[in-house]
Amino acid sequence: MKFKNILLTILFLTIPYSLFPNPSFAQQVSLSLSPPLIELFIKPGKAVMVAYKLENFGDPTFLNLKILPFEAKDSLGNIRIKPEFEGPVRFSLDNSELSLGKPFFLKTNSSQQILLRIRIPENITDGDYYYSLLAETSPPTAIEGVGSARTKATIGSNILVTISNSGNIDIKPKITLFSTLGKVFDSSDKIPVVLTVVNKGKNMLKPEGQISLKGNFGETSKYDIISKNILAQSERLLEATPSSLMDCRERKCLFPTSLFLSGFFIGKYNLSTQIKFGENSPTIFASTIFYAFPFKIVAGILITMIIVIIIIKRNSQN
Amino acid sequence: MKKIKIIIVVFILTTYYLILNTYIYAVLMDSTQFKIESANIEIAGGNKSSTSYKLSDTVGQLAAGEYSSSGYVVKAGFQYLHLIIPFSFSISNTNIAFGTLVPNIPSTATTNLTISFGNSGQYQVTAIEEGPLKTQPGVAVPDTTCDGGGNTCSESLAKIWSSSSAYGFGYGMSGDDISTDFTDSTYYRPFPDRTASEPPAVVMTSTNVSKSRVSTVTFKANISASQQSGSYQTVINFVATPSY
Repeated sequence: MKFKNILLTILFLTIPYSLFPNPSFAQQVSLSLSPPLIELFIKPGKAVMVAYKLENFGDPTFLNLKILPFEAKDSLGNIRIKPEFEGPVRFSLDNSELSLGKPFFLKTNSSQQILLRIRIPENITDGDYYYSLLAETSPPTAIEGVGSARTKATIGSNILVTISNSGNIDIKPKITLFSTLGKVFDSSDKIPVVLTVVNKGKNMLKPEGQISLKGNFGETSKYDIISKNILAQSERLLEATPSSLMDCRERKCLFPTSLFLSGFFIGKYNLSTQIKFGENSPTIFASTIFYAFPFKIVAGILITMIIVIIIIKRNSQN
Repeated sequence: MKKIKIIIVVFILTTYYLILNTYIYAVLMDSTQFKIESANIEIAGGNKSSTSYKLSDTVGQLAAGEYSSSGYVVKAGFQYLHLIIPFSFSISNTNIAFGTLVPNIPSTATTNLTISFGNSGQYQVTAIEEGPLKTQPGVAVPDTTCDGGGNTCSESLAKIWSSSSAYGFGYGMSGDDISTDFTDSTYYRPFPDRTASEPPAVVMTSTNVSKSRVSTVTFKANISASQQSGSYQTVINFVATPSY
């Protein structure tokens, strides 16, 4: 009888538990890696250690660290990561428990410090080498009998290495385009400005400068160029601030722009830019002009005038 | 009425004059240190040189004192950015289950991609499949070409994929910072295939991240009646990198 009671008790306790299944959650990944960029100027034969912080805000996961070279993909700052390692720079981890290419486990809401050692062998030719430190999750286990696409997340941080024995760098900047993508605008239009600079040198460069707008009556506005790196042998669209925002959903942004000028423009405007590339470097510059007229307002006035004249004429005829 | 005609004619003539009469300036800039010639309207360029300086060659030194003593200079982060929010990347669901694939009935499933970055950060997210959607013995669902004909999509161009007789595996995008060719939810692209040495496709990119940007990836698979039944699997790698 006692045994029967125990059985019944177990049964009563088990049934409600089994009626409420455990909630199942989709497995999610959330990673953070900082710093997002390292710029290293280094002599051959030297080594340096850089500390990164990798955080996991998602589900527990295995992560794999690797270094791959990259190159500029376009003039918009996008990159193309190469599939295989190349170049003279040597990378290793100073962490005793971690190594490149060997997966490690990272719990939810925990972080891992990554101590990356960057070593430049002796007798390396001066030049730039660009790499990404990549932290890649392992995809979830496949579920048998179910068609699925499993995803893995990779987060990267870029490393720009400039090797120079003397400390001198070689840059060849040139403004390839400085334009308003048109000559005549309506006074109320937002004027798009495009500024691209090419660097045909062996080392990356960092532009500093302004875009200046000068109107008919001597009024001027200045816009600071954002100092984004232009890699060796690449071109980049430079942006300036403060730029007016353009709603690209309503009006398709067909061309990437450096700056949108906003205001009420009338007459002829001179737009110029001056760019430097560090201390003691000369300035390169370009200029362009555009015209703005109140076409919409004039058209409105004309139409109103015509309507008024027609009404007056009809009234006088009556 | 005559006066109005005159005003209109004068206005038209003035406008034409101002539109057509554009000037070209050759500007000279020089100093005791250097001289810059032949910067032009629209496109600036030319030789920049002086007796003491040639821009085409070596420019400046890298923090000379520090560099010569330690042999290196390290700069971390973006100098033009004050990063309060670190660069982070999330995928809301890593296991995109289609269920049992039924011929001529497309299966779809979604996941969200989220990027967080500091003020005005620039980033990209790329996608690539590690191989076609296939079964263990290696029977593959081909990558979609969308509806075909004028609606033939590619790894870099989304087109309409709404026909139930158009088979394959692909993805559509909606949300922030996506490519403009994903016009609406009927537009799809095939994933680039790493085993075919295809380059990854940029699925999200922005030069100006304010806080967090979210996009939804819709995975779609549609098989024909002749497609062998089985558990079709693949792995998609989403790679998020900040700019340089």
